[in-house]
Amino acid sequence: MADLEVDSAHQENLKLSKMKKKVLRKQIKAQRTLMRHEGIECISHTTQNLVVANGGLGNGVSRHQLLRLVEECGLVEALLMPPNKPYSFVKYGTTEEAKKAYDALNGKELILEDTSHTVILYVNFVRKVHWEDIMPTNLPPGLKVVDELVSPEEETMMLESINWTGDEVIQNAQKSLKHRRVEHFGYEFRYDNNNVDKDKPLPGGIPEICNMLLEKCLRQGYIKHKPDQLTVNQYEPGQGIPPHIDTHSAFEDEILSLSLGAEIVMDFKHPDGCTVAVMLPRRSLLVMAGESRYLWSHGITPRKFDIVQASEGQKVGTITADTGDLTLNKRGTRTSFTFRKVRRSPCNCTYPSVCDSQQDQQKERTPMFTGNETVAAKLEQEYVHKVYEEIAVHFSSTRHSPWPKIVEFLRALPEGSIVADVGCGNGKYLGINKGLHMVGCDRSKNLVDICGEKECEAFVCDALSVPIRSGSCDACISIAVIHHFSTAERRLATLRELARLLRPGGKALIYVWAMEQEYNNQKSKYLKEKKAKKGKEKEIDTGVTQRPVSDQTPDNSTQDLTVSDGVLNDFEDKGSIAKQVINSSLPVHTNRTSFHSQDLLVPWHFKGGTKKKEESITTLQLPSGSNKLQELSPVFHRYYHVFCEGELEAACKTLDGIRIQRSYYDQGNWCVVLERQ
Amino acid sequence: MKLLTHNLLTSHVRGLRPGGGYPLGIQATEVKLSPVDFNAQFVARMVPKVQWAALLQAAQSLGHGSDLPPEPAPGYESDEDFLRRLHHVLLEVEVVEGILRCPDSGHEFPITKGIPNMLLAEEET
Repeated sequence: MADLEVDSAHQENLKLSKMKKKVLRKQIKAQRTLMRHEGIECISHTTQNLVVANGGLGNGVSRHQLLRLVEECGLVEALLMPPNKPYSFVKYGTTEEAKKAYDALNGKELILEDTSHTVILYVNFVRKVHWEDIMPTNLPPGLKVVDELVSPEEETMMLESINWTGDEVIQNAQKSLKHRRVEHFGYEFRYDNNNVDKDKPLPGGIPEICNMLLEKCLRQGYIKHKPDQLTVNQYEPGQGIPPHIDTHSAFEDEILSLSLGAEIVMDFKHPDGCTVAVMLPRRSLLVMAGESRYLWSHGITPRKFDIVQASEGQKVGTITADTGDLTLNKRGTRTSFTFRKVRRSPCNCTYPSVCDSQQDQQKERTPMFTGNETVAAKLEQEYVHKVYEEIAVHFSSTRHSPWPKIVEFLRALPEGSIVADVGCGNGKYLGINKGLHMVGCDRSKNLVDICGEKECEAFVCDALSVPIRSGSCDACISIAVIHHFSTAERRLATLRELARLLRPGGKALIYVWAMEQEYNNQKSKYLKEKKAKKGKEKEIDTGVTQRPVSDQTPDNSTQDLTVSDGVLNDFEDKGSIAKQVINSSLPVHTNRTSFHSQDLLVPWHFKGGTKKKEESITTLQLPSGSNKLQELSPVFHRYYHVFCEGELEAACKTLDGIRIQRSYYDQGNWCVVLERQ
Repeated sequence: MKLLTHNLLTSHVRGLRPGGGYPLGIQATEVKLSPVDFNAQFVARMVPKVQWAALLQAAQSLGHGSDLPPEPAPGYESDEDFLRRLHHVLLEVEVVEGILRCPDSGHEFPITKGIPNMLLAEEET
């Protein structure tokens, strides 16, 4: 009897220590992911501050639920839950309480209230957290609102100084009853082309009365250079200004707008549909810079009341969607003083899709890099072809759910149709309709081999030059392919190839990734949270999850969401031209977030045995002092050019003998159906 | 690679004369026969779409030349015997290993495990 008891106790101990080891392993993994992807450093000594991985808004944990949990362990001074992040920060009154929380919560299984899914929390200590830096303001990036930039006396003086010369903006002649009063200084702003006459400065420049506040702005670093253009706008209740982005080529980065006479709510909108309403209090200064100046549009809705937050009065900041807390605010007459610096050279921002300077340049069809086709080809070799060859098997395992609209297209084709699938990948669509003769082709040998294993007809080729005779196809499809080409010219060349394959009356279906991942207020599945399978452990979802890409239909056999720690193993060869160019100019995307640039690298976290030598092993120092070998799986980066609304259509319109039959948005993709005349 | 697929393939070597590079010559070292369900309507629909001369040449190079007439005869749609033989040649004869040769440039594209590799050297690196 005694023996049995000892035995089972022993078994229990073994089980416990196995579990402990597992928790420790995952805790360390979380530490490294936090460091690598978020720059958050976990430390081994106790402090008052903890980071709770897998306990974030970004992975479905509500504030209410987490707060209850952390309050059990001690007095919580602050709970910080950055939106869209899979972690949170907790600050306790004392280090003892923090240690208590650490012991209680590390490795703790949590059942999410909303979804009943399970997550496991991993807790680590962090140094002092600068809340202001991490606390999300929710304001568009680059936007600042500075309270009380001028005193009431200064406000009165400035308002009285305006000599309205009778200029009015005729905004929308049929609709508006009253016209907005406006005055320009320094340079005349032209409403016909939303630009300034750079060669015709207005006499007098910016009024002296503004000098003091401009000096203040320079000192505070809101602007780098003194503005030389001022527009004064007067908005009476009911007046507004349509959403717009200040012309890139007209003005430099920072734009200042002082609100006098009354407060107002200004609406900011990101191309992917996200809107933010920002309160501009009376006498406050709005600073628009960077993304908020170049990419987000801003506007004022013409109305007599704004919706603001009731509690604590509406202060500077965004107006949240907490409908329990909103109230109406009657508008007064607001006069804005908008200061800008006229731009003398073309704009070279990182938002080319909304940049008039760069759109003009693109029209001349210059390749993406000042260079040539060779660089473009090299880029694609490194960041498309090589990657797909490496990840082929893993990639294929994640690409098995055909998208309904594409299936529909294929099923609607008459029996006996000859169809080419250019960029067929693992042949997902080749067997959909047995009444067709479908032939797939792809640049990746390894992917095409997978098609062969499925007994499909396929061959290896480049989409720029498809070895199929012209006019021999009744239809062709190209799904999530063209966005891998790095110049507009090359993308157009692939479209021409597709058109060439079609017989008269033949149809092509093309899908490309959209820049706008949120459309008509609907987030694409790419952005939505991926649901963990019931009962499966959900690993830290750092926002850099694997398999970010277009397989966006419900993926029933989704593997667990383990994030492999990544070693950027693609930067070994420093000599490569493409890499040097790319390292300096292509942003790396954070998976499952909106796109902020049209040309970017998207990570792929490789899972599964790699047959190559790239598996690297590194030694890690654990808090306890013992050494452990850790195996790391690689992260690959794929190049994408994501398309803006209308971009694919515009390119197709230039094709001879082709008509756009349909154009639509489907789960984060822009799509067209072309017909050959 | 089935012969119906082969009928679509052309050489895209640069600098060929217009209309050149077709049809690709087949030199097969391994061929297999894979049964495929016969669908008369499907096969009949293929007739106007295939380049007959190229098909004949391909069939001949694989020893199936005598299965097909020099031209499809009028009324072929209801000639089951013809359709079945055509079905066999188009869909059941598969080249597993071999070479496709450009008739104009002589360039050779390998076929491995039934998959032709049509990449040109300059496309590869």
